[in-house]
Order: sequence, then C-alpha cells, then structure tokens
Amino acid sequence: MRAVGIILAGGSSSRMKELSRRRAVCAMPIAGSYRSIDFALSSTEHSKIQRVAVLTQYNARSLSDHLSSSKWWNFGRKQGGMFLFTPSFADADSNWYRGTADAMAQNIEFLKNSHEPYVVITSGDCIYKLDYNEVLEYHVNKRADITVVCKEMPENANIERYGTIKMDEDDRIEEMEEKPLVAQSNIISCGIYIIRRRQLIELLEKSREEGRFDFVQDILIRYRGIKKIYGYRMKNYWSNIASVEDYFNTNMDFLRKETRDYFFKQYPEVHSKVADLPPAKYNVGVTVKNSLLASGCIVNGTVENSVLFQKAYIGNNCVIRNSLILNDVYIGDNTYIENCIVESGGTIQANSYYKGENGVKIIVEKGERFTM
Amino acid sequence: MNYMESFNPDYVLILSGDHIYKMDYETMLDFHKENGADVTIAVMPVPMEEAKRFGIMITDENKKITDFEEKPAHPRSNLASMGIYIFSWPALKEALIANQNQPGLDFGKHVIPYCRDKGEALYAYEFNGYWKDVGTLTSYWEANMELIDIVPDFNLYEEYWKIYTKSVSLPPQYFGENSHVERSIIGEGSEIYGQVYNSVIGCDVIIGEGCVVRDSILMNNTVIGAGSSLQKVITAEDVTIGSNVHLGVGDEAPNETDPSIYREGLVVLGEGTSVPDNVNIGKNVMINGATEPSDYPGGTLASGRTLVKGGM
Repeated sequence: MRAVGIILAGGSSSRMKELSRRRAVCAMPIAGSYRSIDFALSSTEHSKIQRVAVLTQYNARSLSDHLSSSKWWNFGRKQGGMFLFTPSFADADSNWYRGTADAMAQNIEFLKNSHEPYVVITSGDCIYKLDYNEVLEYHVNKRADITVVCKEMPENANIERYGTIKMDEDDRIEEMEEKPLVAQSNIISCGIYIIRRRQLIELLEKSREEGRFDFVQDILIRYRGIKKIYGYRMKNYWSNIASVEDYFNTNMDFLRKETRDYFFKQYPEVHSKVADLPPAKYNVGVTVKNSLLASGCIVNGTVENSVLFQKAYIGNNCVIRNSLILNDVYIGDNTYIENCIVESGGTIQANSYYKGENGVKIIVEKGERFTM
Repeated sequence: MNYMESFNPDYVLILSGDHIYKMDYETMLDFHKENGADVTIAVMPVPMEEAKRFGIMITDENKKITDFEEKPAHPRSNLASMGIYIFSWPALKEALIANQNQPGLDFGKHVIPYCRDKGEALYAYEFNGYWKDVGTLTSYWEANMELIDIVPDFNLYEEYWKIYTKSVSLPPQYFGENSHVERSIIGEGSEIYGQVYNSVIGCDVIIGEGCVVRDSILMNNTVIGAGSSLQKVITAEDVTIGSNVHLGVGDEAPNETDPSIYREGLVVLGEGTSVPDNVNIGKNVMINGATEPSDYPGGTLASGRTLVKGGM
C-alpha cells in the first residue's frame, strides 16, 4: 500500500478505572485471546502497509511485551517493519507526548524518512477490521486533504465521549466537536485518518511552533474550513474500549455468533502474539454455557455468559456469571462472581462473593497463591 | 550426514517424535561425558512382565551396557530402551559409513549392534518419569485419555517445562446454551453445542447441537452435525460427520483387514473423511475417504468393517 501507518497507543484513560493502572489501554485483553492493539495491527498488515510506528507512553511495559516480536503480524522484515516509539529525553527541552499531534511531531523523522505518499493514522484502542486501501481510494476520489473514518451510531447510543461529525450531502465534514455536551449528530469519528504525508509533516510542524499538540482539536477542528476533510462511512463492526462499560460490552459482543464469525472465521483473520498454552481443560462437575474460554484455562465449576481469558483457573463449586475473567486468574473453590471484571493475575480466595450491583464491578485481588 | 557435519558437532542427540515425555538432555549429555561413552542409550525401568515388549539393555553396576536383546521371551533386565541416543560424533559417523549399504538401516537393529561388536563404550542412562510410546493406535488413544485425568502424570499445565507447538488457531473456544462438558481438554477455536465426555478435542472442531461425544479424540477441523453420537472414535484432521450419525455402536467384531491395529472397539476416520447423515457405524471400524449413503446399505456399517474410498 502507498502509505505508512501510525498507531496511536499512548492512551491512559481515567475512564478505565483500575484496569489501566497497570497497562496501556491498547494492551487490554480482548475476546479471550487477543489484545486491543491486535485489531489495528492486523488491519495494517492486511492492508499491506510495510512500515508502521506504534506511539505510546503510559504503562508501556505490557504493550512492549506484547509487541516484543513483530513476526506475529508479519512485520519482521528487512525493509520497513514495526517500530515502537516512546518519548525520548535527549535534552532539557524534551517532553512527554503532550497530545496526539505532539506524539507524531516528536517522531517526525519517521515520517520524513518514509517515501510512501500517504499516512494512515489509527488508534490502538478500537476493535474493528478495515482495509485501508478502500479508504485511500475514497480519499483520492474525493480529492480530500484529510479523510476521517466515521460511523453512524444508533440513536440511543451514549456518544458523549466521542468526537461527533456533521457532514454535507457530499460527506464533506462541516462540523466536528470533541465530547459534545449536546450532540448535534449521531455520527462519530472512529479515530482513523488518512492524510498525505507531506501535508501531515507541514501541519504537525506548524502546530508545534504554535504550541498546539492535539491532532483532533488543533488540526482537524481548527482546519476544517480551509482543508477538504471528508468522512468515510464505516459499515462493519467498530467499537472503542476506552471506558469500563464499553470494554465490558465489547467483550460480551463476542458471545454473539455474528461477531465471532466476523472476527474469527471471515477473512482476514486477526493476528496476535502466540502464547503456546495447552488446551483448556474441563474436569468433573462442570457446567459451561454461552461462554468463551481461551487456552490454558482449567474449569471445575459453573461458567455462564462469560469470557475467560488465558490461563484462568476456576475452582470447585464456583459460579461465574456474566463476567470477564482476565488472564492468569486463580479463583478458589465455592466462589460466586457476577457482573464483574477480574483483573489479570488476580488470586481470589475460596468462599468469596462478588457481585456488581450497579454496573460492572472491577476486582483487583492479589491474594497469595500456592504455585508449584 | 552433510547436515550434521555443517555444525561440526562433538555429540549428536537422536530422538523419536512419537514419544511423550519431558527430559532434560543436558543431564544425559553430562552422564555421557562423565563415562567417556561412545554411545549412551536412555532407558526406563518397566515392570518385568512387560519387559518382553521392549528392547532390553543388560548393564553392569556402572551402567555400562554389557548386552541387549530385542523383545526377549525371558528378559534378563527390566531396563527398556526409550529410543533416545547420544553418540559421540566420530563413533556415529564411522558406524553410518560402515553400514551405508545395509538395507533398512535401523539404530536398534544395526547401528547399536555394530557399535557393540566393535567394542565401543555403550552406557545406559536411566530415566524415571512419564514416558509413553504413541506409535500404535491403542497406545495413542491411551496416552490421550491419560491427559484428561484430574492431575495427570504428564502435566501440560506446569509453567516449568512447557510443551511448545505450532499454533494453528488463536480464537477462544465457544460453548453454546445447551452444551455440556466433563473430563475433557479442548483446543482453540472450537465450538461446542452438544455434550462432550472424557475426550480430547483439537482446534477449530465443531460439535453440533444434541451430539454426545465420549472417550474420543477429534483432531483439528473435525465437524459433526446435529444429533450424532461418537463412542471411542479417533478422527484425523478435516473429518466431516453428518447429522444423526452414530459411531461405535453394537457388538464388537474383529476388523476384517487389520485386526491387530483396529481393535478395542475403536472407530478410526482418516484425514479428510466424510460420513453422510443418518448412518450407524459399528466398532473396530476404519473409514477413509468421501463416503456416500450408498456405502452404508440399510444405513449401517457393521463392526469390523474397513471402508476405503478413493478419489479424495
């Protein structure tokens, strides 16, 4: 593809509560076996983008561990490949990434050293599949300066934390508003953009000189009247996971057959780091209904309407209902868990009781665990 | 030979891929070096009454091999060869060149006897742990069934000494509203809508609504339609079984072509086999290929039958 990729993976989000204390949002586990960033990376891979930069700063350890080898996404190559850029402090004037535009401006050499005419900017906290070649074709046909991938949300959806878009009859963007108090439109930005590389370099350098650091506020919204910014309407599944509620609901979406078939069975497949785990094991007295279980799990109790991530251990007589059990969690015997997210690495003592009464409850338990 | 030479080795470790065990070859190599051996053979103590099924090593008090016998009627020792050898490279190279014209050149039958007759130093390295040869259909089935014990002797879930494999599938496995599962292990990407008991299920297997699968091994991409039942069935990869098919039913009868292989009630379906809807299949049966309703007169394939279809 005639574009380089940039994946914005910096986000720490207070809306993720305890869940982003230890990891970047992009490293959040999804659907049992994946991490959020796998979806953006796999779309990049399948669109035949040769060079991709992942920009991150908060809690980058779990993310850099996940991305430690680029071969899972076929980026282990002699030319191009995947680059992980964290802020580098070279002198007293160095800074953290002060915003999305600043993150790209601080790595402007990556853009300058590329020769591809376009840049695909995406975000690592969204769950989707998209062939960016189709977006680029649209971008070229519209003679756009910038194309923003957008999605029409259901009328009743809560969109207050998104950027909303108003377009004219030709789908040129007239108005854009970040996190509007009263939404003027139910079309939201998906955080995926295409722009000519030289144009992006120019806009980033100008913004930096003016002390402006945010791509949406200081480039898209500021330039919407001067530049031709078009909206590309995305038809298929897309969701953002950067709040506890959306994270929970996105995972629960995978209990629906259409979502599973779309992501797991239809081309192109989503790639992730391979964990080399044994198959999941079910002992005597087990009940499992309408649930997803990843490899390495050992189940002795009851699991209903839930997603168990890799290496979850469920003790005897446990009941797990309508919950997400993240990676490497040990749940002792006779424990009841409903409407909860159990944080990775947790150890829950036997005979515990947890229930999310008003919405989802997050359980972070670091009890002692007997290990061999 | 050229391949081995390209590493300029001091020692060569020779293994079989059809054994299930966890072993640190480093300690075996240390043993080999300490004894100044030319050949070290890993051995495992087996019950004396079973010793006649194995290649048996007779050793002195220093574990030096003084003699060996293949499947002896009256074993003089219970140390069975595990088919794991360390050779000092000069000894192996010389033995392979000297025996290069031997048809069907075999380590147990030719290379090791040659080394003994030359008077080389042969030692037995004793291994005590789980070891299973899965070179026959029944031992393969047994080894798999042992994996689903509550805490199996051979534990796949230990962090230390993981077993690595090439993963063919990533997605988690899904269980439907009416599914039931007990004492089983199941691979990635499988979808279970029916019931599964005492079975080993591979990756991307689909078990339809109302199915009952017992004591079976289903390899990757096996697909089973609704309302079928499987009892002691082994399916190879990419097998498709229709709806309302019953496998492993009725009385036992010896298999008509290979009674020593297809026995103990097992039903074996070869790679890529397909079975149409609404048929009953007996025990000790082997089916290979794309079968059609006309292959099952009266909707039945009796126990002991072998059904092989060409043109796959």
